[in-house]
Amino acid sequence: MPHELRLRGVGRRYGLRGPWVLRGVDLTVAPGTLVRVEGSNGSGKSTLLRLIAGIDAPSAGRVTGRPRRTAYVPERFPAALPFTAAGYLTHLGTVHGLSRGAAARATAAWLERFGAAAYAGTPLARLSKGSSQKVAVAQALLAGPELLVLDEAWTGLDAAARAELDRAVAERTAAGGAVVFVDHDPRRLAGVADVTYAVRDGGLDRRHPGGTAPAAGPCVVVEAHAAPGAVPPAEAHRWAGSAAETAPGVHRFTVPASHSDVLLRALLTARPPWHVARVTPAAESPEAPPPPEPQSPPEPRPACEPEPGAPSGPGGRR
Amino acid sequence: MTALLRYQCALLLRSQRWLPPLVLYAAVLAVGVQAGQPVLDSLGYAAAALLPVAAWLVRICVTGEPPAARACVAAAAGPARAHLACVLVALGAAVLLGTAATVVVTLTGAPVSADHATRVPRLPAGTAGLLAVLVCALLGTAVGVLTGPPLLRAPGRAVPAMLLGALLSVVATGSPAQAAVTGLVTGSQSGRVPLPLLPLAGAALALAAAAAVACALVSRRAP
Repeated sequence: MPHELRLRGVGRRYGLRGPWVLRGVDLTVAPGTLVRVEGSNGSGKSTLLRLIAGIDAPSAGRVTGRPRRTAYVPERFPAALPFTAAGYLTHLGTVHGLSRGAAARATAAWLERFGAAAYAGTPLARLSKGSSQKVAVAQALLAGPELLVLDEAWTGLDAAARAELDRAVAERTAAGGAVVFVDHDPRRLAGVADVTYAVRDGGLDRRHPGGTAPAAGPCVVVEAHAAPGAVPPAEAHRWAGSAAETAPGVHRFTVPASHSDVLLRALLTARPPWHVARVTPAAESPEAPPPPEPQSPPEPRPACEPEPGAPSGPGGRR
Repeated sequence: MTALLRYQCALLLRSQRWLPPLVLYAAVLAVGVQAGQPVLDSLGYAAAALLPVAAWLVRICVTGEPPAARACVAAAAGPARAHLACVLVALGAAVLLGTAATVVVTLTGAPVSADHATRVPRLPAGTAGLLAVLVCALLGTAVGVLTGPPLLRAPGRAVPAMLLGALLSVVATGSPAQAAVTGLVTGSQSGRVPLPLLPLAGAALALAAAAAVACALVSRRAP
């Protein structure tokens, strides 16, 4: 039975008399939720994530209910370790609790998913920054963590790997795992985070109560057929930005591209299964939201732009 | 824990950072131990020389990972267990080195007392030497644990503290290592082979206490 992770009155300072980096933080992370943490540079986001991941212990307060399988991705992974990429990942897989065979299989699968299969035999010290980051991300995903903590894990990844990490996060939350992340890109997983917190002056403010932030990234429209009057599975409602029955038994779901695979899986594994008729990139979102943040990047994208060259659906991966 | 130990072992072996302590230990033994010397004297010397080597091996193991990689392992297995694995791998390496040295010294040393008057059988002498080596490996590991991260992070303080700690552990009265080594040397004079079980218990306790302190602090102190 998975429990929720609770931080109660948590504070952290470095040294016995150092200033408090965080103080009086209360936070609950339920299984299956996606939590975004925001804050300016040096506000204590990374400190908070290290407390959540259990790397650091709080100087005050308590952290309870951390799942056994916890994984962490640091923002930089300059791994000067004497292993090959595959060798390191296999070791980490066993540390995460997999058997050696399962760790080797998971290593091959995740390197392939992040387009780094060619580097499996390359020593970590010779990998580029982006490829090292792929190893760091793969390390965390190997054993299907119940709690995944991502500290700007997207930094340094190429576009395909960033999208793959979005999908991996969607899979983890759909499978009941909790994901806590920090990213400087306000469009990162926009609209799918269940809760957003801002770290400010050593405290934590809840920003969006619930998943009300509008989707701002690329979206996918899924048209699925079922018996007239059939109710879409709960997961479909949870992830879909909009769901409508356009004709009797014909439903249209608009989901963030990161969650299209999760939606399709929910539809296809429903009892009775739904028939997926069409999957198309959305040209325009039904309600065009304003740029989500005042400090948004200089080139604001349209609300739901078609993902260039990125096919959707589970079979669309290279 | 097995996976952690295997990972730390592979890290130590592949990093080749075990080579300098090994070379130092071999050089010290080559200088101080010659074939045909009374076996218990040579065993005492081999055990005493192992103590700083064990402390150095701990330093190598606990500083072997970059902080980012350490954080990944700490999240997966818990920071205390990750630190304990480093310490245990260092202890294993020191015991391995000491055992190899004991076997060589026992086979090449002369099975006699210091005055060549009494015969000292090789097997009991080797057993006593092995126990003394264990005492020094345990105590040297404890010194390395107490003078390395997370207790002392700056190398400018940690390394001198480690050297001083290792020296005091060998020579100061009351230290289990000093008791074990002295036992071998006086045993060589009298021709009676000692069995340093009390020092062994003392050294094991010292390491357990040091490791408990370090593992408790590893997630609390600043990285």
